[in-house]
Amino acid sequence: MASREVIQYEGWPSKVFKWFSVVFIAFYMVWTVLPLFVMFMSSFKDLLEAFQIPPVGDWAGVTVFFNFTPTTKHYYELFANLGFSTYLFNSLVAAGGSAVVSVVLGSMCAYSLSRIEFRGKSDLFFWIISTRMAPVVAVLVPLYWIFRELNLVGTLPGLILAYTTFNLPFAIWILKGFFDNVPYAIEEAQMVDGATRLQALRAILPLVAPGIGAFIVLCILFAWNDYLFAAIIGSGGAKTLPAATRELVQPQNIQWGQIMAAGVVTALPMMFLGLIIRKYLVTGLTMGAVKE
Amino acid sequence: MAKVSFRNVWKKYGNVSAVKELNIECPDGSFLSILGPSGCGKSSTMRMVAGLEHITSGEILFDENPINTLPPKDRDVAMVFENYALYPHKSVFENMANPLKLRGQDASVIKERVTSAARLLEISHLLERRPQELSGGQKQRVAIGRAIVREPNLFLFDEPIAHLDAKLRAHMRGEIKHLQRTLGTTMIYVTHDQLEAMSMADTIAVMHDGELQQLGSPREVYNKPVNAWVAGFVGEPAMNFMDAKIEDRAGRTHFVHPNFAIAVNDEQQRIIASGARQDALRVGVRPDALSISMTKPPVDHITGKIFVTELLGGDMIIDVDLDDCRVRVKTSTEFEGVEGQTCYMTVNTNKWHAFSKENGKAFF
Ligand SMILES: Nc1ncnc2c1ncn2[C@@H]1O[C@H](COP(=O)(O)OP(=O)(O)O)[C@@H](O)[C@H]1O
Ligand SMILES: [Mg+2]
Repeated sequence: MASREVIQYEGWPSKVFKWFSVVFIAFYMVWTVLPLFVMFMSSFKDLLEAFQIPPVGDWAGVTVFFNFTPTTKHYYELFANLGFSTYLFNSLVAAGGSAVVSVVLGSMCAYSLSRIEFRGKSDLFFWIISTRMAPVVAVLVPLYWIFRELNLVGTLPGLILAYTTFNLPFAIWILKGFFDNVPYAIEEAQMVDGATRLQALRAILPLVAPGIGAFIVLCILFAWNDYLFAAIIGSGGAKTLPAATRELVQPQNIQWGQIMAAGVVTALPMMFLGLIIRKYLVTGLTMGAVKE
Repeated sequence: MAKVSFRNVWKKYGNVSAVKELNIECPDGSFLSILGPSGCGKSSTMRMVAGLEHITSGEILFDENPINTLPPKDRDVAMVFENYALYPHKSVFENMANPLKLRGQDASVIKERVTSAARLLEISHLLERRPQELSGGQKQRVAIGRAIVREPNLFLFDEPIAHLDAKLRAHMRGEIKHLQRTLGTTMIYVTHDQLEAMSMADTIAVMHDGELQQLGSPREVYNKPVNAWVAGFVGEPAMNFMDAKIEDRAGRTHFVHPNFAIAVNDEQQRIIASGARQDALRVGVRPDALSISMTKPPVDHITGKIFVTELLGGDMIIDVDLDDCRVRVKTSTEFEGVEGQTCYMTVNTNKWHAFSKENGKAFF
């Protein structure tokens, strides 16, 4: 008898919590998706139509939001006259390049840190991570000066280097975890089987590949969405999409339509990338682990 | 195939000496078992042979060639790891083929060798599977299969069956011994299970705290342990130890304890007379060198009180309380004593042992 009461007692808070979760998630979805939706719709609208907003409280007036003649003129303007194809290319090269460099160097470093014992190893590792603890802005000025002295400001290699500076410690940290999860005994077995040290390393690469793949995407995302480096190191010759978008905000004239279109151009490739490697992203970062 | 020699081998990890001054000769084609409790340096020894650890000092030789500086791949040993260390992303076939592939064998040779090894180990039906789809026993067979597909100088098996259940373990003991006999390859087999070592090896090297205690055949190690530690480690149920005084009674040496006074035999008397300078020692008697009865025997005997009786199928183990210790006796299932009763045990003095109280060394 008493037990049924206990069950009821446990029942309603969890039910309330369940409802609360649903409401919360719904709200959260609106919160995150709505701006993207508005951006997407507005990029196909003429400026006048885009600013047709019903008065507060007039819910029936929401339909005006969908009441427009689609136009691709903003996209045309971006690519035909404003050079966005170059910026898109710059973004791709900077993000892809820095991701590849970070992951190649990072996995070599992570492998060494994972497998080899040497004096000061933990200090070295901590120092590497600690370079990510300071905010980017804190080092931006000295970094800018160094880059300028090296004639790297406004160049794609400069931008790649800048992103690598910040992706590499992160890559080492995450990738070390992947290598730590692969038992060293597997390499030892390879060596006893007749492999050289290097062959043994190559043999375990398939085990860390999903993790590395997922991590490449994270690196790309970081570089792709970055504005700070793009504006300061990349400014001039190596303008990327976020920096170029920012320039559409002019003192007398904010190009809302083009800004929305640029936003779509920037967001869309990453969304596709996300969709393609969705499976990896979910399993990759947790499943670098190898069960024995 | 090769003879393996350890010459004054040490292994140190920082300040920890895992292996101390190891000297072993393992003849070509023989089965050497390294036996000792967990942490005594067995794996370290093995890994030095395989080339996975540096040899801190001393030499390991295959035949007459020092191998200290050879990388693992040039030592041509085949190892079965404690945790199997299979390649999780490869099929059983690929796992077993790996050593051959690395040696650049032809695909046809590989296929033939792997299939015949798989047949031998009865895992032919598993060749397409991945390691995570195998049971512990099957994984272990694959690990052994990977070792036997080629003809190495030496097999190194590091507690390969420690993780299996008892029944499978018993089965695999026989299989592995038979395999070694069939292939005739020198084997070093590490285990913490004295039964495995006793039942499989030609020679047992008993290790404790990184030191070799005794090197000998299973019979020698069991019947003539060099010290109390080996005596206590080998044999199940374990040997009973009792502290006793040495006393002369009517010209005959007796071991005297609150619960007994038992005369030694002639040879033992001579050894004690010449060797033991103290007047006390530890007596060691295996449970099967004692016979227990409920009636007082006419000869020297131990008097005790039954603490508990355990029926083990064909045998019975009786725990008997003495004044200062407890001993275990193996007897037949006909024994009818019950807990709390007084009982009497006679000792087969040809089979008992005496150890120094100071350093545990065996007098006999
Ligand atoms: N890589 C290592 N670093 C430090 N100490 C180690 C290492 N490997 C083993 N040891 C120590 O050496 C001793 C022997 O270990 P091991 O050879 O693995 O013993 P066993 O295989 O007999 O259990 C243990 O005390 C262990 O803690
Ligand atoms: Mg071990």
